[in-house]
Amino acid sequence: MATTRPESRVREIFSTMDYGPAPESHACALAWLDTQDRLLGHYVNGKWLKPKDRTSVPCQDPVTGENLASCLQAQAKDVAAAAEAARTALESWRALPGASRAQHLIRLAKMIQKHQRLLWTLESLVTGRAVREVRDRDVPLAQQLLQYHATQAYTQEEALSGWEPMGVIGLIVPPTFSLLEMMWRICPALAVGCTVVVLVPPASPAPLLLAQLAGELGRFPGILNVVSGPPSMGRVLASQPGVQKVAFCGDIQEGQALRWTLAGLGPELGLALGAESVMLLMEVADVDSAVEGVVDAAWSDRSPGGLRLLVQESVWDDTMRRLRARMGRLRVGRGLDGAVDMGTRGAAARDLAQHYVLKAQSQGAQVFQAGDVPSVSPFFPPTLVCDLPPASPCAQTEVPWPLVVASPFRTAKEALAMANGTPRGGSASVWSERLGQALELGHRLRMGTVWINAHGLRDPAVPTGGCKWSGSSWHGGLDGMYEYLQPSGTPARMPYFCENLNYDTFGLAVPSNVPAGPETGPSSAAPYGLFVGGRFQAPGTRSSRPIQDSHGNLHGYVAEGGAKDIRGAVEAAHQAAPGWVDQSPGARAALLWALAAALERRESALTSKLERHGVEFKAAKVEVELSMRRLRAWGSRAQAQGPCPQAAELRGPVLRLREPLGVLAIVCPDEWPLLAFVSLLAPALAYGNTVVLVPSGACPILALDVCQDMITLLPAGLVNVVTGDRDHLTRCLALHQDVQALWYFGSAQGSQFVERASTGNLKPVWVSRGCPRAWDQEAEGAGPDLELRAARTKALWLPMGD
Amino acid sequence: MSAHNRGTELDLSWISKIQVNQPAVLRRAEQIHARRTVKKEWQAAWLLKAVTFIDLTTLSGDDTSSNIQRLCYKAKYPIREDLLKALNMQDKGITTAAVCVYPARVCDAVKALKAAGCTIPVAAVATGFPAGQTHLKTRLEEIRLAVEDGAMEIDVVINRTLVLTGQWEVLYDEIRQFRKACGEAHLKTILATGELGSLTNVYKASMIAMMAGSDFIKTSTGKETVNATFPVAIVMLRAIRDFFWKTGNKVGFKPAGGIRSAKDSLAWLSLIKEELGDEWLKPELFRIGASALLSDIERQIYHHVTGRYAAYHDLPMS
Repeated sequence: MATTRPESRVREIFSTMDYGPAPESHACALAWLDTQDRLLGHYVNGKWLKPKDRTSVPCQDPVTGENLASCLQAQAKDVAAAAEAARTALESWRALPGASRAQHLIRLAKMIQKHQRLLWTLESLVTGRAVREVRDRDVPLAQQLLQYHATQAYTQEEALSGWEPMGVIGLIVPPTFSLLEMMWRICPALAVGCTVVVLVPPASPAPLLLAQLAGELGRFPGILNVVSGPPSMGRVLASQPGVQKVAFCGDIQEGQALRWTLAGLGPELGLALGAESVMLLMEVADVDSAVEGVVDAAWSDRSPGGLRLLVQESVWDDTMRRLRARMGRLRVGRGLDGAVDMGTRGAAARDLAQHYVLKAQSQGAQVFQAGDVPSVSPFFPPTLVCDLPPASPCAQTEVPWPLVVASPFRTAKEALAMANGTPRGGSASVWSERLGQALELGHRLRMGTVWINAHGLRDPAVPTGGCKWSGSSWHGGLDGMYEYLQPSGTPARMPYFCENLNYDTFGLAVPSNVPAGPETGPSSAAPYGLFVGGRFQAPGTRSSRPIQDSHGNLHGYVAEGGAKDIRGAVEAAHQAAPGWVDQSPGARAALLWALAAALERRESALTSKLERHGVEFKAAKVEVELSMRRLRAWGSRAQAQGPCPQAAELRGPVLRLREPLGVLAIVCPDEWPLLAFVSLLAPALAYGNTVVLVPSGACPILALDVCQDMITLLPAGLVNVVTGDRDHLTRCLALHQDVQALWYFGSAQGSQFVERASTGNLKPVWVSRGCPRAWDQEAEGAGPDLELRAARTKALWLPMGD
Repeated sequence: MSAHNRGTELDLSWISKIQVNQPAVLRRAEQIHARRTVKKEWQAAWLLKAVTFIDLTTLSGDDTSSNIQRLCYKAKYPIREDLLKALNMQDKGITTAAVCVYPARVCDAVKALKAAGCTIPVAAVATGFPAGQTHLKTRLEEIRLAVEDGAMEIDVVINRTLVLTGQWEVLYDEIRQFRKACGEAHLKTILATGELGSLTNVYKASMIAMMAGSDFIKTSTGKETVNATFPVAIVMLRAIRDFFWKTGNKVGFKPAGGIRSAKDSLAWLSLIKEELGDEWLKPELFRIGASALLSDIERQIYHHVTGRYAAYHDLPMS
């Protein structure tokens, strides 16, 4: 009955035992494109939007170059239509009870489940990523994300009372990031009651398909709108009325450019940048498993970026041998093939990798490439770069996909210095079988995510974010939800853009001061000088500025601080930082309480000084009392640990650590000279930051008074108070690269300057945009948003098992 | 079969520093199925290859010469000849790698295979299989008797007590003696990994067994509650690679117990290919201990050739 098939290649394969092609059929992806007549527009308000007279971009198969469809490029009108739809949908969507929103998200999860094959073949076909990764990881995770955020929405009224959705969210996704990165951000936004406009790069059909699936659920068509257009549309999107936040994930340079252009436009900017990851391999590690970790990190189409691998010198040779052997067995090929480890990312990514390799070689590095790689473009082999001199320019730049740059280190301390010694702070893994060592390293790494003996794990319940250039926005877990929430009653953010603000000259010059007449009234007895490094110092300018009371009489002189004083203050704060970070929250609380007691002793003096500045006696008393209360309240609050997330796929705990930002600069508002100063200082100190602070310009004397008590109570350098011209000091702080965060309460112009200047080190900034804040009200003066902004989250993954 | 692994002097430094991280090994194990797949003709060729790795096994209390004879015949003709012809593979001499029986049935098997006119080796389990809880003297005697009866391969079980109490020198000496008792027969050492307590112990026991001169290391007897699993296999394969890198000796690997489907066997083949390379994909260095697996492979081949799913009676029983 069975007939011989002479063409059978079984004989040959039987002796070679090679892998063959294992193509995943993508017929359904093509069929879907056919339903759109191979012309993709935008998906807005539950309908396809295909305006006439738009340029279009071809969407190509990255391997064959075959044209799959044409994609229309959005113009400003299209973005406006999408924002309009989101604005309209917002009213009904945010008014829904959380339970109803939860239900809607669950329906979307089911919708994805029903069309998962279409989703994964389309995503793999267009992006070129290995279908295994999309099918087995991305699509299930997309469903889990919807599921998790649905449960969060369900309990929102209870668990997140006091918070309200921000409004319309603009999300900008660059070409190198996958559909999943979009899911990480739209899920929390939709769950809490925001509506979303996503700007995707031209020729990315999968987000459009997702929007269509959401739109076909029928109700609430406008909550998710996707337009595809060039990056220049980002500014247009941010300028749309009602857009309250712009979230961006992608390239560091693009993020910086966006920070620059969006300064003053109104929406808050959440950045998640860069893709490089770091791995520390200690000598007591399971080296073979760590090598698999490297494969997960760099050569599995999981991470969008490359890996910096730090290996202890004693196991360097062994690790390199195992790594090279493993690389030889990797397979690269068409993403839709079921038996490849790595697909392609298109010609641009390949050129970037090639460029880095050539540059590294010219700087003396050894390059090793291996694996089963098709000879035709656009594939790039798994690549290992060694012996790159640490001082070479290449060693400083971000490692691109799919490269691993390996360097040896001698001790754990050195490893930490190397890992922390980059401007990026995304994710890292530590491989060590010694629990104490692993935890110590996990704690000291300045990263958003640290995995112990694993790499690249993700879970909807675990916050993922970063620090330094990697941006300070979060996705996943509670932190991801707060990104799209604001304290109830926050006024809508309006543009405050100031056309004639000159960035080159803002705050550049210090006004000259001359004697301002006789000092009248009761003696001020204010200490003179800048409070830096735990003592009062003469300012570098050796000049002073007069402070007037409410009657226009001279109250006294304060020191005129300048750039050099800021430099000194930041240095002092950095010196104090390690000691303060290591203090327990309890010990910090004790010092804040001691400071409160000192304020109590000074109560009458402080009250009378406030009175001299035009505050009524009663109000002045309240201000002093409230200030004491703030210090005590933040001391206690910082001791409470937040909830620990529970990752579904992991056996073992994930610790959500709240870590200090570092040196935090605070420019206090002019009003509430004592209360605002204390309200800002207390949370900053309670969460372990060291502070450089510019007090109220109108009345800095009260802050200096409090500093007198700090001399004896607080470690030197923990708090540094610099008086002087606010614009000038703000400029110095905003442009200082070693200030880790900046809170600015002042003019709209100053806010715009601060936002733009923060482009340099991408420090998180919090600006008042010229709006006053009611510091005496609990919600604004001691609200939960202060707590969020005073520390950053780190997720420490601790898989268990033996 | 290839030359024997001569083994090495006992060097405890080879096992003293070893670290095995269990959750990381589990993650790797989960990926084996997903990362590689073979389809169509590749699948058929790989399945036929898998047949040549099978130690066709029967280890039951009720084994008699008649079912041993049937097993031996199936070992010689594992796939229906018309199916092989359809694939143009009829002249490749596809048989299973060995027939594996209890010591008392070795004679039956040798006789049956001789009658069938083939040179498939007979493997005998020995040394107090499956628990290994008999005196060393009787365990050694058992090996000698099986070899006398014509067994070419001896699957010995190690004494788990020695592993759990860390008596590595004693374990080394015992396996050394097994090696000697085997003479020219090949020594396959069963680690009974389900009873060793940790993956670190699996690595250490593997290394000791190889240093003592095992030609194969084998996961399990098939009688423990946990049998051949990917995490255990990964650790053993890493040990085999480390031993090869240190000594230049290639030691074989044999998972046994619980491998029943054709799909599973493909995953095992790709695991070997990924961890050790193509050189290990031959019967001299890789075996699968199984009884039910063969019939599932035959069904898959039937489907590949005819495009239909076979009825139970379409394929001869073993």
